[in-house]
Amino acid sequence: MTRRSSVFAALLLAAGVVAIPEAARAHAALIEAETVQAIRLHAQYDTGEPMVEAQVIIYAADSPTRVWGLGLTDAAGVYTFVPDDTEGRWTIQVRQAGHGATAHVELAQDAVPVLTASAGAAGQGWPQRALMVALVAWGALGTALFVLRNRKRDNASA
Amino acid sequence: MHLPDGIVPVEMALAGYGLSAGLAALALSRIRTLPDPQAEVPRAAMLTTVFFAASLVAVPVPPASVHLMLAGLMGVMLGWFAVPAILVGLFLQAALFGHGGVTTLGLNGLILGVPALVAMGLWRLAGGRWPDLAALGAGAGAVVVALALFFGIVLAGLPTELDGAAERAALAVFVLAHLPLAMAEGVIVLVTLRVLRRVEPRLLPGV
Repeated sequence: MTRRSSVFAALLLAAGVVAIPEAARAHAALIEAETVQAIRLHAQYDTGEPMVEAQVIIYAADSPTRVWGLGLTDAAGVYTFVPDDTEGRWTIQVRQAGHGATAHVELAQDAVPVLTASAGAAGQGWPQRALMVALVAWGALGTALFVLRNRKRDNASA
Repeated sequence: MHLPDGIVPVEMALAGYGLSAGLAALALSRIRTLPDPQAEVPRAAMLTTVFFAASLVAVPVPPASVHLMLAGLMGVMLGWFAVPAILVGLFLQAALFGHGGVTTLGLNGLILGVPALVAMGLWRLAGGRWPDLAALGAGAGAVVVALALFFGIVLAGLPTELDGAAERAALAVFVLAHLPLAMAEGVIVLVTLRVLRRVEPRLLPGV
């Protein structure tokens, strides 16, 4: 074998080795583990039903208009993600069929994430709701009676 | 069928406020031309309460919940008064129950105000000759029109980053879940008018 053909054969062998998939070249696997801080969301409708496969859209604290991440909730309405080191107020929105809610999570170095605000359906009990309906009904009844009294007075004076 | 805060872009929410204000101005100008506008105020006040409280009646139908809208009933019973009544009711629902957003109040006013006017038009067009059919059509038709507006607004305001096909599929299920509600609201308008005709005909809306 000439020197030129030996070099050619060596190059061909090297190219073949490089082209072999990583899994075929490796002999063992290694796992490195680290603990990270994750945010887990539980999304549900005001009826208590989980928002299954709802779309999740995440905005990092440093750029509230640029989408940082996207995802889907699972069958229990849960979505988990690991934010990067950006400190400040992260915004996460979960939405499905025109319904949705937005949550803000405050992230700080060496501190537990704090949910600062969650906009969505208000979690009120039935007594509170009944009281509100009664107050609005009372207001409407008062308006109706006020107008009717004025009309009667106008008719009487006429 | 209330759009919450943050679902549509700010520009759309502002446009909704503008269009809703225009609709309210049109309604008020038509109310001013009535022979006795004050005569309708007690009925409008009471029906505003009914509309406000109706949003609490929710039936869970995946992917969301279905609740009464009563836009058709408001349109048939109140005519042009339905628009300001619905806007007041929506504001109270958003402020007290968290149903619908404050920033989306204008859009929600359109989603329910326009169907109410459609129901009013249908009732005035056909209520004299076929009262039962017109009542059914007004109640059911208002729900269908509201669904179409809701569907269109949500898709128009969908961020480009999100999966449009997934949202359309979820909206299709949502619309299907509301079709029984359309029939129910048609029956509500029909029964209400029949009861009023028998018990208190003076409260019946004009045709």
